[in-house]
Amino acid sequence: MNALLTVSGLTVSFGSFTALDGVDLAVEERELRFLIGPNGAGKTTLIDVVTGRTRPTSGTVRFDGADTTGLAEHRTVRSGIGRTFQTAAVFDALTVADNVDLAASFRLAPHRLLRRRDRADVPEALERVGMADLAERKAGGLSHGQRQWLEIAMLLAQRPRLLLLDEPVAGMSAAERERTGELLEEIAQDTTVLVVEHDMEFLRRHARTVTVLHEGRVLTEGTLEEVRADERVAEVYLGRSAAEDGPEAGPTSGPAAEKETADA
Amino acid sequence: MTAANPTETAAGSVPEATDRNVSTGPAARARLLSGVPPTLLIGVAAAVVLAVMPLLLDEFRLGLLTRYLCYAIVAVGIAVAWGRGGMLTLGHGVFFGLGAYAMAAHMTLAAAPDGALPEFMVWNGIGSLPLLWQPFRSLAFTLAAVVVLPGAVAALLGWAVFRRRVRGAYFAILNQALAAAFAILLIGQQHLTGGSSGLTNLPVLAGVDLSTGAARTGLYFAVAGFLLAVWAAYTRLMDSRYGSLLVAVRDSEERVRFLGYDPTWVKASAYTLSAVAAGVAGALFVPATGIITPALVGVIPSIQLVLMAALGGRHSLTGAAIGAVALGTAETAFSESFAGGWLYLQGALFVAVIALAPRGLAGFAESLASRLPSVRRSR
Ligand SMILES: Nc1ncnc2c1ncn2[C@@H]1O[C@H](COP(=O)(O)OP(=O)(O)OP(=O)(O)O)[C@@H](O)[C@H]1O
Ligand SMILES: [Mg+2]
Repeated sequence: MNALLTVSGLTVSFGSFTALDGVDLAVEERELRFLIGPNGAGKTTLIDVVTGRTRPTSGTVRFDGADTTGLAEHRTVRSGIGRTFQTAAVFDALTVADNVDLAASFRLAPHRLLRRRDRADVPEALERVGMADLAERKAGGLSHGQRQWLEIAMLLAQRPRLLLLDEPVAGMSAAERERTGELLEEIAQDTTVLVVEHDMEFLRRHARTVTVLHEGRVLTEGTLEEVRADERVAEVYLGRSAAEDGPEAGPTSGPAAEKETADA
Repeated sequence: MTAANPTETAAGSVPEATDRNVSTGPAARARLLSGVPPTLLIGVAAAVVLAVMPLLLDEFRLGLLTRYLCYAIVAVGIAVAWGRGGMLTLGHGVFFGLGAYAMAAHMTLAAAPDGALPEFMVWNGIGSLPLLWQPFRSLAFTLAAVVVLPGAVAALLGWAVFRRRVRGAYFAILNQALAAAFAILLIGQQHLTGGSSGLTNLPVLAGVDLSTGAARTGLYFAVAGFLLAVWAAYTRLMDSRYGSLLVAVRDSEERVRFLGYDPTWVKASAYTLSAVAAGVAGALFVPATGIITPALVGVIPSIQLVLMAALGGRHSLTGAAIGAVALGTAETAFSESFAGGWLYLQGALFVAVIALAPRGLAGFAESLASRLPSVRRSR
């Protein structure tokens, strides 16, 4: 198999601060990859570079065999990369259906944008995230979890080849996490997915391959067990407040339970 | 713009015509009209009101209304760019002026006895008609220019500015500066533009003597017709996917990029549409009033145009048009009794609207309507 996304020697500096420092990463087609690391490790920055939001100081991004380094945001989307944001970004003034419709229509010729909604794939995408009955609601009135799902529905409607999810279950209730997890597994069947997520329980359930980022570098990469057995990982997380949001070395419990109560 | 498909209309426009409050007046009326799209109702009502006005108003008042309706066309465009697109267009006097001066140039040439130079040029010591003026001999060219000139300027400017991600206050200031520069240019190029006294003495258009009562009424209907047409076309467009996209760009340009759209062209096109409406309005204003001067297109009028949209409700194309007529009427009524105080009152009004009623008259109407359960669906 060929890697769908290849990041090589990626460095991003903000002034004198180096957010990413020579990161190499390859994600295979159909892979479900988790990206973890303490706060400020550079996870979001990595997604930002891949999606054209931030220009790298050096290094390259290759997607589907083509060099996409420094491509404008909308062009990365057109090349088949979709992303979510750490705080769900949907259009509050539009209805749920219009949000998805806009997302689904990005490849349409301009004259078709002059029409009203007429797509069959909008109800379909809403059905997949279980929001079909909310179609005519204004997105501004949705709950936190619903907003995240709407954002995922918007991405689904775009049929990207690579999906980058930035903390999709942060702030969600246990039931919402469950539902999001199912959705993630479903999506991963036919889409390559890179997920940034701290939630230990979520990782345990869904992670296959995990990449650990720390201070702008790839610390280690492997299965969840391998990564958790790695002493450096434990150190990185324990160095800060492990109880908050990092995986522990210990195989049991994990901070997820604590986090849930904290959120509730 | 295509016809809405039937399921769409059913889902989008009349979701909740209910049987509640059967006995009460408004509810019963709303029930009677349920199934008719609200915009169609507004359009028909506006057409009826506009059609009877010549019967109710004397020639002088009808002339004033014609003038307000020209501003209403501009206000509809501002509602698109500012209300829907979030672009505070503080320089629409420029586009209004481009349309107006193009039309005035044509009418100046039409008024001069054949081949003779316009009088102001003779006064300025010009020997032959400047190259810039020559194409405006043609009515067809002029009519095209009225749309293409403001449209092209807005498209180019919009593209250059939005591509660099200039927005918010910077964009507003840029527009304001443009209006100032435009007025200065018009005053400075006296031999081409008539300077600060502008272009006056414009009695004929397309061979018709505009001073007769019939011609004035005809002009009124032409302006009212253009207003309805621009309103209907732009309202339809705002109902389309493009309209949603424009609102999306207004609320989160960045997010729109990550949907795979380039906000640059979305904004530039809305800005252009808005400028075209202003250009058409300017071209209608000239035969309707017989004059165009830099003072009618500079910084102050540009701000007044925005105030009209703000007063009526910038998010609502209908509200903005009504705001223009309301502000014009208020100005006339006030100036007739207290000459000179209007500018202050207008300034106070602007502050009051922005601070207390950012959604303008349309916002009031909407919150009123939302209290009547059955009429809630109207925009
Ligand atoms: N535009 C920017 N300008 C300056 N510094 C930035 C910028 N964006 C990010 N940084 C810094 O780069 C570092 C990495 O940030 P990033 O958001 O990628 O971390 P993260 O791994 O996503 O963290 P978190 O878990 O908190 O989301 C942080 O120290 C952050 O302050
Ligand atoms: Mg982050």
